[in-house]
Formats: sequence, structure tokens, C-alpha cells
Amino acid sequence: MGPLIPNGLIPIEWNFVIALLIGLAFGYIMEASGFSSSRKIIGVFYGYDFAVIKLFFTTAIVSAIGLYYMDYLGWVDISQLYVHPTYLWPAIVGGVFMGLGFMFGGYCPGTSLCAIGIGKIDALAFAVGIMIGVFIFSESFGLLEPFFNGSNYGHITMMDTFGISPYWIILIFTVIAVIVFYFSDFIRKRVKKVFY
Amino acid sequence: MSKRYKSKKILVKTEYKFLAILMILMAAGLFFLPEKIDNEGTNPEEFVLNTLKSDRYISTDQLAKRIIDQDPTLLLIDTRSEEEYNAFTLPNAINVPLEKLLEEDYVSYIDQDSYDVVLFSNDNYHADQAWKIGNRKGFKSVYVLKGGLNEWFNTIISPKYPAENMPETAFKLYDFRKAAGMYFGVGAPKSDTKKATPKKVITVKKKKKRVAEGGC
Amino acid sequence: MKNKQKIKRRVYWNPYFGGFLLGLLIILTFYITGRGLGASGAMKSTVVTVVDAVAPAHAENNAYYSKFIKEGESPMNTWLVFEAIGVLFGGFLSGAMANRLKPIVEHSPKITSKKRLIYALTGGVLFGLGAQLARGCTSGAGLSGMAVLSTGGFLTVAMIFGTGYLISYFFRKNWI
Repeated sequence: MGPLIPNGLIPIEWNFVIALLIGLAFGYIMEASGFSSSRKIIGVFYGYDFAVIKLFFTTAIVSAIGLYYMDYLGWVDISQLYVHPTYLWPAIVGGVFMGLGFMFGGYCPGTSLCAIGIGKIDALAFAVGIMIGVFIFSESFGLLEPFFNGSNYGHITMMDTFGISPYWIILIFTVIAVIVFYFSDFIRKRVKKVFY
Repeated sequence: MSKRYKSKKILVKTEYKFLAILMILMAAGLFFLPEKIDNEGTNPEEFVLNTLKSDRYISTDQLAKRIIDQDPTLLLIDTRSEEEYNAFTLPNAINVPLEKLLEEDYVSYIDQDSYDVVLFSNDNYHADQAWKIGNRKGFKSVYVLKGGLNEWFNTIISPKYPAENMPETAFKLYDFRKAAGMYFGVGAPKSDTKKATPKKVITVKKKKKRVAEGGC
Repeated sequence: MKNKQKIKRRVYWNPYFGGFLLGLLIILTFYITGRGLGASGAMKSTVVTVVDAVAPAHAENNAYYSKFIKEGESPMNTWLVFEAIGVLFGGFLSGAMANRLKPIVEHSPKITSKKRLIYALTGGVLFGLGAQLARGCTSGAGLSGMAVLSTGGFLTVAMIFGTGYLISYFFRKNWI
């Protein structure tokens, strides 16, 4: 049955309306959870606010578990979903760059957009920065291309990497997440409060 | 919220303990799901029955008529090897070698609803195998040319003149075959009419693999 | 003033609740579109559009831009751009309802607004580069990748947070 649009169950014209609505919900949830504040987001690195990690892990668990139940019920075909491709070294280096950018700027692209929505000027600067970053990347694409397209492992999942069933991955991940949640509260109690 | 933590002097609220356990149970619950029933394709019993039935066969005469009528719903699939296909094939036939049948580029020719797919090979054998694979997978409206190309030659290209004592229908059939044979040309060298314009088949790809769209 | 801010802060949702809703939203997104959420894609489209408008020949010749330029169709005409517009409005809507709409530069009392803006811009540049390299940011590679258990998604998220923790000490003045 699902996914609906790739299977032609919803006409493609609706695509953009749906995109707008999904974006609306996405922005609303992020803003309401406090992701429009860079100092709240960045609290995860200094131990005074773990909202990011809590929301992030909860989302990942809920969506992964939910998708597998839906696959079982036949509502959605997991094999038809878009799996983010793995290019080993670009993913690592890109992740390092994003980590740096995160520490410098305090946002990620999604949260910066919703922070712009409530009028954060630093978020606007961040978004402009992203565009400059994309521009620099594109202009130097000739140089970066071999690296960018190198070490391609295709659309692999954790199941391919570790060779175990997806259920184990989800269970292990859930247990890890719960432990992380516990320790995040544990740490937060011991860290000086920061008001932002 | 921090204030409440301090005043209550507890690290984890009971609700959170409950939610954490619920989450782990949900994740563990995936293990206990009964084996997913693969409801794609034909179930084995039905498949066996289907293979015993002969309604998958289409005779050379029926096929010749449909080709001559230029039936737009007809899609001919040559299941032989590429060399054989290049040497001779039926008009507008598409080559899908048996061993490549389920490859992504080819399966969409057979796994579709818009055409009546007629499989053929030199005899029934390979086409039948292809049909069995298709039927097991649940593909609809797939047929097999009875007797394959050998039968095609014996009946359409060089039909036997019926014996004197045969009924009139046999003569009519002979006339039809003779005419059809003329239509297809004796021996039909590969260059004329056939693959000059390979039939454009709009296939519906069942699995739409999305190409990686950079960015996020 | 501090007190007032504290009261406001309580208005934020419980992160677990937000995460639960976002998880449902990602499931819904996958269910409807077969793909996940994203954010930096829209910014890339903007860049491509601008470059294509200013120097079309250059955009055609560049191997990266040309991937996203189609004849007779604006590069802005993509799913992610519409989604990003939605995110902007969603943020606005939530901010308006919680009375958080205010044009400010948020920064630690230890640094000036100007410094904060420069750092934010630098961070954006780095993030933009990284997001292109890794083919997705925290939403595209992280959230959506992790939902389908993509190895690359987990790897990228681990690298983002790992790097963040490694260098956070050097940036403490900017934030705390």
C-alpha cells in the first residue's frame, strides 16, 4: 500500500501541498520543543539541557519501531523507502564539518529555518552561511568530486553492516537510548544551570 | 522543570520509567510478530493447479491472427538467447532471455497489466519455464505460444496441405495459414518490418527506486 | 527579566513528547512520500537558483549545479523547498502561539551580538559544506536516515555529536 506517492495512490500534484503541510508540522514541533533557541540546542554539549538528544533519540526510535510495525501490517513497504546512501569518508568528514558548524553556529539547517520563523537574527546569519557553504562546495566540486563519490557503499542499512536482523538493531538502539536518557538526567543534575 | 527535580529529589520520574519500559517492549515486540505471510505472488497450491491447466497456451493460429490484426494489447516476448533472437524472431518481439527474466530492466515487461504478454521460445520449454516463474510471482495475463517457433514454422510459414478427406474447416485453416505465411514472408529475414521499429512498451516500474537527491 | 524568561521557557514541550510527535511525523512522511524530512536541500536549491540566474553558463558547466538544473523547470520547484517554507511557517505559528516572536540575536552574555553573528555565519558555512559532503544534514541524514536504519545516517549523526563533544570545551565561552 504505502508509500502513497511512489505507488501512485496520491496524484503527484498533491506532492507540494503535502510537502508544505509536513514542513509546517515539522517546524511547529521543532519550535514548540525549543529548537528555535541555539543556546537550548547547544546545551546538549555542556550538560545543561539535553532536549536535543532526548528528542532526537525518541524520534529515531519511534519512527524506526513504527515503520517496522507498519511494514509488518503491510501499510508501508520498507524496501521501497528511500535509504540514505552511505559514502563512508564523505559521511565522516561531512559529519566532522557539521559538528564544527554546530559548535560555531548552534543550529542545524532545520532548526535555523524555524528559528528564522520566530525572528532570530543569528539563525538568519546561519542560514546565509549555509548557502555560502553550499556555494563554496559547488564551486570547488571539481576538486572534491573524487572524494565525494568515493568509498560508496550504496544504500546500505545497519542490517547489512552488522549482518543481524533489524529487530535486534532496533532493540539494541532502544536500550542504548534509554540508558542515554538516564545518564543525561544524571549529568544534568550535576551541572550548573545556565539560563538562556 | 529543574525545580521540580530538586524538590522531589528523584532522578527519573515514574512516568519516564514506564515510558522507557514501554518503548523497550515495543521494540522487543517486533521479535514476536508471527512470520510475515508473503501474500505476494501465487500460493503454491494454486500455482500447481495453474501449471496443470492449459489455458495459458495460445495457438500459433490465434497468435498469427492477432499479429495480423495488429492487436495493440499484444506484447511478444522472446525468451531465447540474444543470438537466436537476432537470427530470427516474431514481429515486434522483445528479447528477454530466460535467465534475465527477473532482472530489473526486464521484469517490468512481464510484470504489468496493460498488455497480453505472449512468451515464446523454440518449443514450449523455455517459455513455459518463464511462465511458471511469472505465475509464481503473481504476474497477470501472461501466455505461452503453444509449440513455440517450431510450431510456428510448421503451421504458419509452411503449412501442410490438408488431406482430401479432411473437413472443410481444415481447408479454411490452411487458407488462413497460407495467407498468414505470405503476410509474414517465408523464412522472414530479420531485417524487414520486424525490429526496424521495436515496439515501444511503456512499462510500469513496480519498484520505483528513488535516485539519491543530495542534500537533505 | 530573568524570571519572565524562565516562565516562558516552561512553555516548551517535553522533549520526549516532541520526539514522539516528530517520530510519528517521520512515519507519516515516509508513508506518504517514501522519503524522509530534510532542510538543507532547500538552501541548496536557493543557491542553485541564484547561480543559475546570475551566471547560467557557469551553472550549466559546473558538475554539481547541473545535477539540479532541469530544462524549463525552476530548481526551486522541489519537494524540499516547499517543505522548508512549511518549516518557516510552522516555526512562526508555534512561536506566535507561545508568544516567542521577537527579532533578537540570541547569545551568551559573555560575547557581543556581532561576535555571535560572525560565529553563526561561520558555523553556517561549515555546516553547509558538511551537509553537502555527507549528502544530508541532521534532518535528512540523521532523522530520516536513522528511521530506516541507514548506516550512513547513524555514522553522520555520530560524527556530528562526536565532533561537537570533542571541541565543545573550546567554545564554552560562546554558549555558557
